[in-house]
Amino acid sequence: MTLKTLPAVPPSTEKFDFKKSLCALWRQRWMYFLMTPTLIYFAIFKYGPLWNAQIAFKDFKPLLGVMGSPWVGFKHFETFVNSFYFTDLMTNTIYFSLAKLVLGLPLAVICAIALHETWLVKYRAFVQTMIYLPHFLSWVIMFGVLLVILSPGNGLLNQVIEHFGGEPISFMTSPDHFRWVVILSDIWKETGWSTILYLAALLAISPDLYEAAAVDGASPMQRIWYISLPGIVPVIVLVTLLRMGHILEAGFNQIFVLYSVPVYSVGDILDTWVYRQGILQFQFSLATAVGFFKGVIGLVLILISNRIAKRVAGQSLF
Amino acid sequence: MLRTKTRDAVIFQIGLAIFLTIILLIILIPFWRVIVTAFVPLDIYTDEGVPFFLPPTKWTFEAFSQLLGHSMFPRAALNSAIITLLGTAISLVLTVPLAYGLSTRNLTGRKVIMAIVLFTYLFSPGLIPVYLLITGMKLTNNYLAVILPPAVSVYNTLVMMSFFEGLPEELKEAARLDGANELQVLWHVILPLSKPILLTIGLFYAVFFWNEFFTPLLYLNDNSLLPLPVLLRNILISASFNEYVEYNAFSSSSIESLKAAGVLITMLPMLLVYPWIQRYFTKGALVGGVKE
Amino acid sequence: MKNWKLIFIVSLLVISQMLAACAPATPAPTEEPEAPAEPTAVPSPTPIPEPIEITLWAQATVTEAGAPPEDWVAYQIILDELNIDLTYVIVPTGEDGEAKINAAAAANDLPDLFQVVSAKNDSRGALLQLVDLGLIAPVEDLMPLMPERAKLHYNDPLALDLVTFYDHQYGLPEPPPIPRREGLVIRKDWLDNLALRTPTTPEELFKVAKAFTEQDPDGNGKDDTYGFGGFLNGQGLGTRFDFLMGAYGVPGVWNFTDPAAFGLNVRSPEYPEAVAYFKSLVDAKVIDPDWATLKRDDFRARWKQGTFGIMWEDFAALTNKSNYEPFDTNFPEAEWIPVAAPVGPTGASNYGVYTGRGQIFAVSQKAADAGKAEAIASLLEWMATDGYYLLGFGEEGVNYIIDANGNISTEGLADADKYTAAERQPFTQMRNQLIFYNSEQEIVARYPEYKTLNGRTMQPMTFLGFFQQQPWVDGRGIQVILPPANAADFDRFYTEGLIKFVLGQEELNDETWAAYLAGLDALGAADYEAAAKQALTDAGLLK
Repeated sequence: MTLKTLPAVPPSTEKFDFKKSLCALWRQRWMYFLMTPTLIYFAIFKYGPLWNAQIAFKDFKPLLGVMGSPWVGFKHFETFVNSFYFTDLMTNTIYFSLAKLVLGLPLAVICAIALHETWLVKYRAFVQTMIYLPHFLSWVIMFGVLLVILSPGNGLLNQVIEHFGGEPISFMTSPDHFRWVVILSDIWKETGWSTILYLAALLAISPDLYEAAAVDGASPMQRIWYISLPGIVPVIVLVTLLRMGHILEAGFNQIFVLYSVPVYSVGDILDTWVYRQGILQFQFSLATAVGFFKGVIGLVLILISNRIAKRVAGQSLF
Repeated sequence: MLRTKTRDAVIFQIGLAIFLTIILLIILIPFWRVIVTAFVPLDIYTDEGVPFFLPPTKWTFEAFSQLLGHSMFPRAALNSAIITLLGTAISLVLTVPLAYGLSTRNLTGRKVIMAIVLFTYLFSPGLIPVYLLITGMKLTNNYLAVILPPAVSVYNTLVMMSFFEGLPEELKEAARLDGANELQVLWHVILPLSKPILLTIGLFYAVFFWNEFFTPLLYLNDNSLLPLPVLLRNILISASFNEYVEYNAFSSSSIESLKAAGVLITMLPMLLVYPWIQRYFTKGALVGGVKE
Repeated sequence: MKNWKLIFIVSLLVISQMLAACAPATPAPTEEPEAPAEPTAVPSPTPIPEPIEITLWAQATVTEAGAPPEDWVAYQIILDELNIDLTYVIVPTGEDGEAKINAAAAANDLPDLFQVVSAKNDSRGALLQLVDLGLIAPVEDLMPLMPERAKLHYNDPLALDLVTFYDHQYGLPEPPPIPRREGLVIRKDWLDNLALRTPTTPEELFKVAKAFTEQDPDGNGKDDTYGFGGFLNGQGLGTRFDFLMGAYGVPGVWNFTDPAAFGLNVRSPEYPEAVAYFKSLVDAKVIDPDWATLKRDDFRARWKQGTFGIMWEDFAALTNKSNYEPFDTNFPEAEWIPVAAPVGPTGASNYGVYTGRGQIFAVSQKAADAGKAEAIASLLEWMATDGYYLLGFGEEGVNYIIDANGNISTEGLADADKYTAAERQPFTQMRNQLIFYNSEQEIVARYPEYKTLNGRTMQPMTFLGFFQQQPWVDGRGIQVILPPANAADFDRFYTEGLIKFVLGQEELNDETWAAYLAGLDALGAADYEAAAKQALTDAGLLK
């Protein structure tokens, strides 16, 4: 097994240049010059709004402006954390977020590898194009499609269930099934699209490695396991880390269209609550405060998972 | 890639083909319905809803022709094209240097810049703070209001960074030893090797701008500026909100057909662009570049 | 590789070009249509004062039709006659529109004149919030400046009362849609096929619904029909089943029928009985099983497909030609007939609750500070007088004519020019928000009689008349009740609890019902009721 000795990933050996002299800065001047426009952009369009987001700690009044509104400390955070459904909302949000990640990501990786491995070039191009189409369906359309498939009256799936002697299930309004409707419909819609990223990563792996493997007589599975997968681990780790940072975003647009009163208990998430309570009730400060809350949780999780990733996969963001 | 047709390899290929076909069917069966919906004539729709199979002789382009004939359609399509092209170009121009800088692990201050960037990823200020900034800059009724706030996606930047990191370090070093500055390294070494990722990220940005409807709704007041998704959204949701109006803007198609046709129309440009992108995807772009 | 770089350079060039093109606030290509209008404006010798720019934000009547074009004749007339440069922005439907207005409010950037949009249909509450933020100008001084409009549109003392806060009138309450316009209807042909009588009690309704579900009322040999159809609309079980709750004396959220016992209807001992009855419909599967998740358009598609035979529907949505025609084509021999309010076990009978909610327009404080208030009043007055027909129907002789009886008609006009044509909808987008006020002439024009395919005469006004005569509860007081601070949580608990009982997710018995009420109290139901009672008393609406 000579394959094991192949450099799996470009090693993350951080060559620290300890001579942090002016000379080093001068040598890197072009790099800073290149990044300057983007950093100015960040200052204006990313930190400008964050400056305004101080209204999370204020009682925002439009006439007084951001600066003139009175400070109220953590009042809005308390309102949110003490709200009646807080635990429910957190549970649902994290449930959806994690399930979509844990089920969706491996499937996308598998699809990408399958597409990458197949010899049927024309067929691959066709499948590739088809599986990314659902990404373009808006959730409003998806609701119509799901209704037709899942309706207990005459939905396709329920007709199959009845054909085999089962009782029709009202998937969309039953708390026992609604979560799966959300998770699976999201996977159906987005997996093909996220395949693109992993496919690009697979294409970046040097063909020399595959040639070497072929010379060594590696089986297809060995090839995938020792070359393809290690080659895309950096992307997988990166995507996972970033998704952990947004763990409290569970897909507002999707839930907002799909949920209904009977499944609030398993479907209501932070963002739908904020929408009902914050934006539509003029509680802008509250809405912004929840945004901060999500950021803090995301920060903690991304720090933890970064550390784990460093230890387990030898990969990290920072 | 070398293709040694061993028995194992052939069995593996058959398995792959079956797997891909199953995936394809899972995708296509519900999607088929959207297509049929777009083509089903009003009388069949109101009679039995959307049949799963409709003989092609009964298909009608009514919904498409009504949408394409909408007085605002040409203008909206043009606006969408402008927003998408301009947005994608600005996004890439801003994203590539940042990703490249962050991919240079020994850049002084890299960690600080990374922290600055990541912070904005974690803490999203939300609707109102961004709106205050945009109105403060007098950007309402301007495409820049739609394009600039989301122009750099931290997610896309970091993905691109991770690809740049994967490029062989020796190439960069070689160029640097030849006396090339970073701009030249990026231009002559990095970019030619990064076609798949540039196209991927470019596609991500393009699709984002192409589909965007909420910020145009928010910031663009002039009707002649509105892009396609806003027009389609008005059609999509009006039927579920409006209590009732006496005469319809579209009389000879069901609202369901119009929705589906609208979605298919928005997909079309991306469907046309993708095969072109795929060409670059399948050529084994990376090493071809190195050997040149 | 050269090719690749070329693309990059070209895209950079394109950006810089486009940025340059973007710099002026409005892009160039839109100016062309204005050209023909120039000559009329230029040769005027007398110095005209600078036109006053007014921005109007309102929802559209037919959202999907889009806005009027920039060379719309009305813009020019408004400029010539009123010296107003009008910018008309169509606010999106539903929550999107509310977000747009709320964001503008947050930035103190509200338009001069705008429709107060509320996705939850609580415009008065939304207006009060804007007033409290100091963003709205009082309008009582404008009322004498628009005498005709005030007479036709702002003539309901209660409506005026409801937009008066802190002794100032802050809103312009447009006339609500015709009140008490919805009602219970049943498929007469199905009744006839199964030799059933029109139901008059909840029990009879149940039996008929069961027969409709199980005995193949359309005779197509398939088990594809249900008794009831509906969807959830509003708090709790929604407004579309109030005729059932009304038979138990508990229609709507609030108890407006007995002023002495004012409070939430769920407090009354009849409420769980009504819920149990509703639950029996669900248990017996005589209601379209998708009812709890359907949206309005799905629901309407279904009755046109003959899915169910008993429903609650708006009279115009049911009977007006454009909506009835598809149903008529499918089932030419079918007929919906109105049904009177069912009478419950204790003799109670309520059709529904009417709230009298209409659109409210407001003038921003910013506009008043800029001295635009009088111009706004003159614009509104013009819309109710000289501009009325133009904005409501179009140009006389081209888009509509007035016949010998004084009725609006389209006889002899080219199809595409008729005001009813799809092509003309962008030109009359303001009609339902700012123009119409339910005059005789409008009603005749909007809800005309016609012949169905099998030769019956369809009279929308007959349905309306029938519905209006039913025992409705006057719930206009609901407008003064402000949502509690924890509205999202309260509404969810209130609604979710009821739905759980109805769907059988939670067993319905004395104990669980008491637990439900206790849960409401834990969320501040008692305070909410007290505040509501106080608001009603203050407004003089609780007698």
